[in-house]
Amino acid sequence: LNAAPGRPPRQRVRFLPAPAPGGGGALELVAARVPVLADHPLVLGPRFRKLKIGAGHRLDVKASGVFVLGIGHGNKLLTDLYNCHLTKVYTVGGLFGKATDDFSDTGNLIEKTTFDHITREKLERILAVIQGTNQKALLMYSNIDMKTQEAYELAVKGLIRPMGKSPPIITAVRCIQFALPEFQLEIHCLHETQQYLRKLVHEIGLELKSSAVCTQVRRIRDGVFTVDDALPRTQWNLQSIQEAIRNCQLKVETELEKTLG
Amino acid sequence: RRMLCRAAGPPSTRQLREAEEAAPVFQYAGKAAKRSDRVFVWGFSFSGALGIPSFVKPDASWKKPRRIQTTPYRLETQEKISSAACGYGFTLLASNTRDITKVWGMGLNKDSQLGFQRSRRDQTKGYEYVLEPSPIPLPLEKPQQTRVLQVSCGRAHSLVLTDNEGVFTMGNNSYGQCGRKVVEDEIYSESHLIHQLKEFDSRVVQVVCGQDHSLFRTKKGTVYACGWGADGQTGLGHYNITSVPTKLHGDIAGVNIIQVSSYGDCCLAVSDEGDVFGWGNSEYLQLASVTETTQVNVPRHLPFKIGKVKEAACGGTGNMVLTEEGNVFVWGYGILGKGPNLIETAVPEMIPPSLFGWSDFSPDIRVAHVRCGLSQFAALTNKGELFVWGKNLRGCLGTGRMEDQYFPWRVTVPGEVVDVACGVDHMVSMVRSFT
Repeated sequence: LNAAPGRPPRQRVRFLPAPAPGGGGALELVAARVPVLADHPLVLGPRFRKLKIGAGHRLDVKASGVFVLGIGHGNKLLTDLYNCHLTKVYTVGGLFGKATDDFSDTGNLIEKTTFDHITREKLERILAVIQGTNQKALLMYSNIDMKTQEAYELAVKGLIRPMGKSPPIITAVRCIQFALPEFQLEIHCLHETQQYLRKLVHEIGLELKSSAVCTQVRRIRDGVFTVDDALPRTQWNLQSIQEAIRNCQLKVETELEKTLG
Repeated sequence: RRMLCRAAGPPSTRQLREAEEAAPVFQYAGKAAKRSDRVFVWGFSFSGALGIPSFVKPDASWKKPRRIQTTPYRLETQEKISSAACGYGFTLLASNTRDITKVWGMGLNKDSQLGFQRSRRDQTKGYEYVLEPSPIPLPLEKPQQTRVLQVSCGRAHSLVLTDNEGVFTMGNNSYGQCGRKVVEDEIYSESHLIHQLKEFDSRVVQVVCGQDHSLFRTKKGTVYACGWGADGQTGLGHYNITSVPTKLHGDIAGVNIIQVSSYGDCCLAVSDEGDVFGWGNSEYLQLASVTETTQVNVPRHLPFKIGKVKEAACGGTGNMVLTEEGNVFVWGYGILGKGPNLIETAVPEMIPPSLFGWSDFSPDIRVAHVRCGLSQFAALTNKGELFVWGKNLRGCLGTGRMEDQYFPWRVTVPGEVVDVACGVDHMVSMVRSFT
């Protein structure tokens, strides 16, 4: 970073004594634009000695996916993005037939059950009811008075969202794949933790009169940042980071303006 | 010295896998596990209409009487209930079985709308309030072959439809709503009289009770009515009482009607071609699209350009229809479901489908059925979710709150809602469990 051309030094107008044109001897003050000595690279030293990096929404050790980081002045944007309360999208993989103590497949086994009675229909029914109860929670925690006309209009457009602290809320669930004993869900949620998603998989298993563990949690979208914008491990170098920041700048600005006004 | 044994360390991967495979497998539900059918009730309980006696008379000393049940509560029934109806303070549950007891009733019985319920304390008297679902003895000729298809309840009378023994009516008959001649100064409480109606042009397939009148729809698509007519709700061309079911003419003569609905004093009928006909009370602009008068005593076609109508539901002051595409239209007076600003309209207004859970994420959600209570509306989606809105009289909406609901709100029921019956201050739903 330090090797890249830095900012040009500031210029200022100084009145310098210089020999007057056409007459020898007398010194006159002539205005000249001179670079400020305080900005000289030899005076200042390398521009970046430390970088401040802040992290966005937490992603725990067993999960993977999009993880937003802010560098330097971008940390201020991080707090704004947090206050926007945008939804995150996860693909959660589950396995029927086992129940463990930490709801994932690496925990201690508690119980094994049969699962041949489970069909895709039953799973989708349970998902519909989960969506329904969470929809109610969405409306309740958004702290809007239900009796006003604006509440009705926001509800029609689907824009009611809790704008403060709230327990984890799931805005949408969908079953992407279903091949007994495995299944995959796409979950859109707010204010959640990955352990909450694993607990959800466990509870779905219980509701279907069997048991389930979570095998995979992968975040595919965090607010405006999707997997396409994210940099895989092979691309963790300066050029790609700078390019990625440039590409996302516009999106972040429009989203912040739209939500926070 | 060589050690012949080794201390046990943390289990290796192979040991874990073997332990897992050796663990016993539990079975909670087999492959042929059937979904069970349940009944959930909620609303005002002191009339006994919810059928749970411990709400009115607590059976343990620490329990307190529960006046209002704000969220759905499970009601245990002996048989699978196929049809339910809520009246004004009482409920009827009917099952499709061939056993001797086919209909149970609970709630108010001051006009014998639940038949004669012999009191256990005094064998000569009957109960005025029935707190538990009690069997209603119907005078059937072949009790082990006839099946009850549907029940319906009005303000103080009830109708029971059977498959081959006609319609049984009981309760108040001061306006002829039971289909028999009005007897002066008849005492309706503790009456054993259950009247049977058989003279229709073809088999009756639907019975509907309004507040003090009854409507019968036959297989051929004709509609018969009897009862009070001061608002024209009998649709027979006059404003008098009718004590014998008489055929309706007007705009529905010759039209094959596939559904009738009524709860207050206004009636709606849907034909097989998707047209809507209405008659009865129009004080709340229910029929203002065709007439300025406040009562219409002959069925009139309502020229709405909303598409083919599949189902209609009449409430006390507001009406609702469901079209073939799955859109819900409301009109009339009261809390119609489009926010606090829409109080009355004579022209049907559509409720946006996004309020029923439709979105880009789940575009195949449609409203499948619509039902009306006196000032409440209920809609069932094809995914089995129940949405209610309207005046929350004594907690009848089941949302868990006591405030009125100005736009459709989900009721959390642990199961897939198959059917719902709305009353004045309580509701009954038939639910199938998920697995």
